[in-house]
Amino acid sequence: MRRLPIGRDGMYVIDTGSWRQFRPVVRQADCTRCGICLMYCPVNAVRMSDGEVSFDLTYCKGCGICKIECPKKAIDWVEEGC
Amino acid sequence: MTVVEFLAQAEDLVSPGLSACQGCAAELALRTAMKVIGPKSVVGIPPGCVAGFGAPGWGLKTGMKVPVCMPLLGNSASLMSGIKQAYAAKDPEVRVVAFAGDGATVDAGFQCLSAAAERRENIIYICYDNEGYMNTGFQKSGTTPHGAHMSTTPSGSCSQGNAAFKKDLPLMLAMQDAAYVATLSVSHIPDFVDKLKKACEVTDGLSYLHILSPCPTGWGTTPELSIEYARKAVETLYFPLYEYSRGTFTISKPTLRAAAKAKPVSEFLAGQRRFRHLCEADALALQEHVDRKWGILSRLAG
Amino acid sequence: MARLDALTGNECAAQAARLCRVDTVVGYPITPQSSVVESIAAMVANGKMSSKFITPESEHSVMSILKGAGMMGERVFTATSGQGLAYMYEPYFSMSTARIPMVMALATREMISPVTVWSGMQDAHSVRDAGWIHLYAADNQEILDSIIQGYLIAEHPDVIIPVHVCYDGFYLSHQTAEVVVPDQEAVDAFLPPCALTQMLDVNDPAMVDSNTPGDLMMEYREDHLASMRRALDVVAEVDAAFAAGFGRSHAGLLETYRVDDAEEIVVTIGAMSGTAKDAVDAARAKGRSVGLIRVRCLRPFPAKALGALLAGRKAVGVVDRSVSFGWSAGIVYQETLAALGLAGIAVPTLSAIGGLGGADIREEHLARVLDLIHDCALAGRSRQDAVWMNHELLSAQRR
Repeated sequence: MRRLPIGRDGMYVIDTGSWRQFRPVVRQADCTRCGICLMYCPVNAVRMSDGEVSFDLTYCKGCGICKIECPKKAIDWVEEGC
Repeated sequence: MTVVEFLAQAEDLVSPGLSACQGCAAELALRTAMKVIGPKSVVGIPPGCVAGFGAPGWGLKTGMKVPVCMPLLGNSASLMSGIKQAYAAKDPEVRVVAFAGDGATVDAGFQCLSAAAERRENIIYICYDNEGYMNTGFQKSGTTPHGAHMSTTPSGSCSQGNAAFKKDLPLMLAMQDAAYVATLSVSHIPDFVDKLKKACEVTDGLSYLHILSPCPTGWGTTPELSIEYARKAVETLYFPLYEYSRGTFTISKPTLRAAAKAKPVSEFLAGQRRFRHLCEADALALQEHVDRKWGILSRLAG
Repeated sequence: MARLDALTGNECAAQAARLCRVDTVVGYPITPQSSVVESIAAMVANGKMSSKFITPESEHSVMSILKGAGMMGERVFTATSGQGLAYMYEPYFSMSTARIPMVMALATREMISPVTVWSGMQDAHSVRDAGWIHLYAADNQEILDSIIQGYLIAEHPDVIIPVHVCYDGFYLSHQTAEVVVPDQEAVDAFLPPCALTQMLDVNDPAMVDSNTPGDLMMEYREDHLASMRRALDVVAEVDAAFAAGFGRSHAGLLETYRVDDAEEIVVTIGAMSGTAKDAVDAARAKGRSVGLIRVRCLRPFPAKALGALLAGRKAVGVVDRSVSFGWSAGIVYQETLAALGLAGIAVPTLSAIGGLGGADIREEHLARVLDLIHDCALAGRSRQDAVWMNHELLSAQRR
């Protein structure tokens, strides 16, 4: 039996990376590190470190916003499993 | 620090994996807003998409790294007022935030939101407006635009979709002289972050932030175009960005730029499944409504 | 020193809230409760009470603000009536099921339609299954004392359930009576400072009151019911402790009057009980073997105690200020039938309904009901349809 409706059993996390049909891949040569992809990523899956942009594919849902919004069109869309 | 640098280093206070649809702008709005509001905050998320996609948690697990609760559909502003007033005595710096959809804000929750603004409750009330009850199957809400095909205002041989026009809550709260009112778009993140910072600085009343939040699933657009549709909403003046504070309306820069060469609202409508049945007269009615609203706003802003 | 005063029932509720040192009161006016929150507002405005006092736009917000404050661990209070209770039903239910142990005064009122602002218990009885503890006062002193007892019951670690103290609108809410107002030190000695859980804490973030799957929901409800069962003991214990401290008891769960040798019993609730005692005395004077049981605690329902008191009687009648739609009976009557059924007692019964929408329940009505209970005893049969305590009942008697 439980009394007060308080949850302390850790973080509720869904494996949203498994939803992805396409994954983003940055062409580093064309990327200017402007960070627009980071700004617009709904799942906060864009990382900027060591001067490179990368994606946390554990949670990236593959929505494609980064691909569309990239001003240099430096993000490729690669089908998962290919 | 640039906005990108700020967002890159700020802690994401939301669970990394939540079941928002692909391209959900409300998820972006929540994560970005919480980066600005920070960890010393309590959040209330009433029924709606954000609650449905798990930000308040599920079972005994939490979806946020800050204390989070789930108000009822129609009591967010009241519940959070009670929390804020109790917290004010313990630690006045704790920010108390409601993150509510349009149904919980302009429909069921409007009465108590208006009253909280009148009482100058020092809460930050954020409405993510996806223009309908999207979590429960795309029913019409008070912010659903004219003509939209929704599951309770379907288009058909005797109907052209929603007969009503979008209810303008930010303007109503400005007319109530709420401490700070702003409209925000996920397409203009620097402006978005700036307005959230201002809301956080308010200590003597209610801040109301109204975010247009494209919903690919309900609007019938592809997920990658969510930001683009938010941008078109700004560029066509369908959703003007502005602020209200202490008697003064200020049109925000993205909208000032857009107003100089405003695009027709049909550019915002194009490609959305909810508008595909619209005839020219319907689009014209929408355009007239947008023009009228913009006329009011630009006069208010002098 | 405790002082003797002349107070309305509503003033008693306000004085009790002051004495309980509540942190927050949220007030919204509604007849017949309004003078409770007016009195509190005046005390706060004049520095006689240090609570926060918040005035929102509706009862829905009243209970919602209280819930927010309660989640923060505050001791909170409000009062409402009738339509106000109905309007706040949504947060009212979630207050009890989030296990926030507040006390609310309820000046009971008939429900609309047609329009009424007057007395009745349909409002309170309609929400008997919303998870709150219901105490019903019979006089002004009991209103004041039950609110003080209410916080001790609600905040008891075995209970953690909100309490509402109900009293007949107008008959008690607006009637002035002699009341002993205890002094602050005595109440402080009886009721310790509030030590409730702060559910929302930035230093210990947790999820509160969120999406819950069914198996977990069952655990919450099971505990709520178990806590309600324990509250039966706690209500009685708290009243006994109150009697020890203040020299007054309000009979715990059930008040009995001349029941020891009674063959016939009338069950009452609220302010009508005083008049009913006069009717019992008059019937006794005529040689009738009749006694009275007043239900003080409707939730949790003291079924076992009531069953034990009703065993071996020849007839039982129940007088209600409410109706149970779908039955030709009142609501306390239904509860009494359930208690009899659980105890395996077969006894002729009768439901009497009166006092709706401010109609008077007079001694002559109750005398007539006692006659009809006697008829049931003689016939050895229950009465199928409710007795309506109206003009016709009295004219039938005259014929």
